[in-house]
Amino acid sequence: MDHKGILAALVGELTKLPGIGRKTAQRLAFHILKQPDEDATRLADAIRAVKERLGLCRQCRNIAEGDLCGICQDPKRDQTRVVVVEEVPTLHAIEATGGYKGLYHVLAGALSPLDGVGPADIKAQDLVDRVAGSAVEEVIVATSPTIEGEATAIYLSRLIAPLGIRISRIALGVPVGMDLEYADEVTLLKSLDGRREIA
Amino acid sequence: MGLSKTPAIVLKSRKWGDADRIVTFFTLKHGKVRGVARGARRMKSRFGSALEPFVHCDLDLFEKQGDSLYRISQASIRQSFYTLRDSLETITGAARLANLAGAVTADGDAVPRVFHALLEGFRAIGQSEDAATTAALYELEILRFAGYLPHLERCNSCQSTATDRWFFSPRAGGTLCGPCARHEPVRCALISPASLAFFRQALRMDPALLPRLKATAPVREELRDAIELYVDYVAGRSLPKSGVLFAAERRSTYRRTPSPVASGNANRV
Ligand SMILES: [Zn+2]
Ligand SMILES: [Zn+2]
Repeated sequence: MDHKGILAALVGELTKLPGIGRKTAQRLAFHILKQPDEDATRLADAIRAVKERLGLCRQCRNIAEGDLCGICQDPKRDQTRVVVVEEVPTLHAIEATGGYKGLYHVLAGALSPLDGVGPADIKAQDLVDRVAGSAVEEVIVATSPTIEGEATAIYLSRLIAPLGIRISRIALGVPVGMDLEYADEVTLLKSLDGRREIA
Repeated sequence: MGLSKTPAIVLKSRKWGDADRIVTFFTLKHGKVRGVARGARRMKSRFGSALEPFVHCDLDLFEKQGDSLYRISQASIRQSFYTLRDSLETITGAARLANLAGAVTADGDAVPRVFHALLEGFRAIGQSEDAATTAALYELEILRFAGYLPHLERCNSCQSTATDRWFFSPRAGGTLCGPCARHEPVRCALISPASLAFFRQALRMDPALLPRLKATAPVREELRDAIELYVDYVAGRSLPKSGVLFAAERRSTYRRTPSPVASGNANRV
C-alpha cells in the first residue's frame, strides 16, 4: 500500500463513524498524521481496550467489564425494581441523577411499526425471563415519549402484567423550568393525564 | 421557492446528528418532502411534539439552493392524533397509511386527495373497533388516488366473468380467474366470493361511509392479505405488515425457559 492508500484507509474507517462526513474524516486523518506518536498510540490503545475489555452485562445489557456490570454486582441496589431503557446512554443519564437505586434492563432498541422493527428485534423476552419468578416487584418503563417508545411501553405492559408484576411508565409532561404557556398541546394533555395528588 | 407555508402530515421522523431530526412529511402543496429540524430533540425545542408521526400541522419550510432537504423553521399542530398512540393496533394501522402514502408518491408531487385520505384514515382508525381492517380500507383509498385503483369486475387477463376460484393478482392490479392465476409469475391471494363482494362494495362506497362496513373475521383477513400483497407490489418493496407488533403474541404464550447465557462475541458491544 502506498502512502495515499494508507491515509485513504484511515479516512475510510473514520467516515464510517456516525456524524462524520468525508471532509471531517480527512481533517481528522491529517490531524492524527501530524500528532505526536504517543498521542496517536493512546487513541489506538483506547479503541482496542474498549473492544477487548468491555462487553455487555449478561443480566441487564449495560456496558460491563466481565460478566456482570457494576450495578448488577452491587448488593446495595434495590433488587425489587427494574427500570427499562431503550439504550445504554439513557441508563447513564438516570444514574447521573443519583436518585434511583434499583436495577436496569437495556432493550437495545424499540418497536417501530413504521420501520418494521418487531418484538423479535428487541430484548423484551429477555426481560420477561429475567423478572418472572425473581425478586422484582415493579418494572418501570423509561422509553422515550416517541411512537417507538410508546409502542414499546404498551407491548411490555402486555407481556409483564400477566406475570403479576407491577408495571409503570415514567411520567410524561412539562419540563422543569419551562413556562406552561409555551408547552405544546400533546405535552399539556399528557401532563394532565399524568397528574398526581398533592394533598 | 424560498419560504413556503403548507399544511402537512408527519409520516416519519428520525434522529439526525446530536439533537436534530430529519422529518418526512406529506404536504398539501408539495406532496412528499423531507426537512431538517434543528435542535428538535432538545428538551426546550420550539417544535415540541409537532414533528411526531401522524401529527397534522402547519409547516414553514425553507428551500436551500442545490439541497433536496428543506429547513423546517416552524411547525404548529392542527390535530395531534395523539390518541392513535394509545394502542398497538391503532399505532400499526396509522403507520401502514403513513408508509403507503410515502411509498406510492414521488418527492415534490402534490396529490391533495392522498393528503385528505390520510387525514380521514387517521380519524377513522382512531374511532374503529378493528383498526387493521379500517387501515386496509383506507390503504385502498390512498392507492385509488395514487392511480392504483384495483379492478375487480372480471378476470384482468382473459376478461372472463365466471370461474371456480377468484384470485387477486398484485401485478394485474385486480382479479384473475383460476386458470389465468396459475400462469402468474407473482404470488396471488385466493379470494373467496364473500371477500370479493365485500372488496367490490368497499371500492364503490363513499369513503366517508367506509368505517361503517362490517365483515366477518375470515373476510377481513383475506382482504388485508390481498391489500398488503398489492401495497408491497405497488411500493416495490415490503412495507411493515399490520401484524408486525403482534408476531410474538401469536407465536407463543410466555415461555418459561431462562435465556441462554450469552458468551464471547455475542456479548460484545
Ligand atoms: Zn447489569
Ligand atoms: Zn382469466
